[in-house]
Amino acid sequence: MIIPVRCFTCGKVLGSIFEDYKQRVYLNGENAQEVLDELGVQRYCCRRTIVAHPVIVKKDGVEELIDEAARYE
Amino acid sequence: MKLTVLEETDTFIKVLIEESSPDFVNAIRRTLLLDVPKLAIENVTIYDNTSALFDEIVAHRLGLLPLPTDLETLVFRQDCVCEGEGCPNCTVHYTISKEGECTVYSGDLNAEDPAWAVVDDRIPILRLLKDQRIILEAEALLGTGKQHAKWQTASGAGYGYYPQIEITGDCNGCRECVTMCPQDVLDVKKGKAVVKNLENCNLCKTCQEVCSRNAITVRGDPSRIIFQFETDGALTARRALTEAMKILQAHYRELEEALQ
Repeated sequence: MIIPVRCFTCGKVLGSIFEDYKQRVYLNGENAQEVLDELGVQRYCCRRTIVAHPVIVKKDGVEELIDEAARYE
Repeated sequence: MKLTVLEETDTFIKVLIEESSPDFVNAIRRTLLLDVPKLAIENVTIYDNTSALFDEIVAHRLGLLPLPTDLETLVFRQDCVCEGEGCPNCTVHYTISKEGECTVYSGDLNAEDPAWAVVDDRIPILRLLKDQRIILEAEALLGTGKQHAKWQTASGAGYGYYPQIEITGDCNGCRECVTMCPQDVLDVKKGKAVVKNLENCNLCKTCQEVCSRNAITVRGDPSRIIFQFETDGALTARRALTEAMKILQAHYRELEEALQ
């Protein structure tokens, strides 16, 4: 799927945060905990929503499962 | 009653309310979550959608976007002069027209007036591959958190007692409490534990439990309450708090009138 717009539990907007997170953690290889702290994701409900979102890391970028699914439409 | 602002940004506020009680602050918290109005997309007309996401999912994602809310100009549709038909006093229109290959971001939503553009323009709404298209029109209305969570102004609203930490003369400065404190509240100076940053304390009482000499007592003061919440940018945190108090006042006034 595509990243949820908001945290399921508290309603904080996460869509835009995930764009940064994806670049820094999956491509630059930074520590996920530090990145989440810097992006201001404090509560554990929001943190699990971001951390548990599955992605496919490829050489030239990060794709979400929606990109794979879209090919068969 | 006294109020001190401890921390404030556009979307976050942390205040200390003194000479108050938990029930009173809880009333403000509930009003913030349930009754403060906000703008959100309610009706979506989809003309073309050949993306991998269903129309319903696209509409749902649009509904969750944070839109800037001007409570001076907008009114609820049910209270509007148009009697529920929809007019510029109660409705804001948006359109999207995009063709792949691209990601449609919240910034691609065209508002009729640039002042209504989505607060955060980097939220992905859907992904389009080559030759896939999305064309739609959306109507945003005012609503409250009681109706649907997309109209909830505040998130993470909560309060706690102001901590009181007492350290008696029995303390021998063993540092056990300093190492065990998860919030880095305590420190040792001149062979005795001292409080370094009191406001960080979350009353977990770990220090009290690990102290072999029972020299530390941690208590919460129910008359002094730390209250905090954040907003999604639709309203500033300060504005949302002011609005919550106005609504609470109006509720009580209504009750008073009913009594007379």
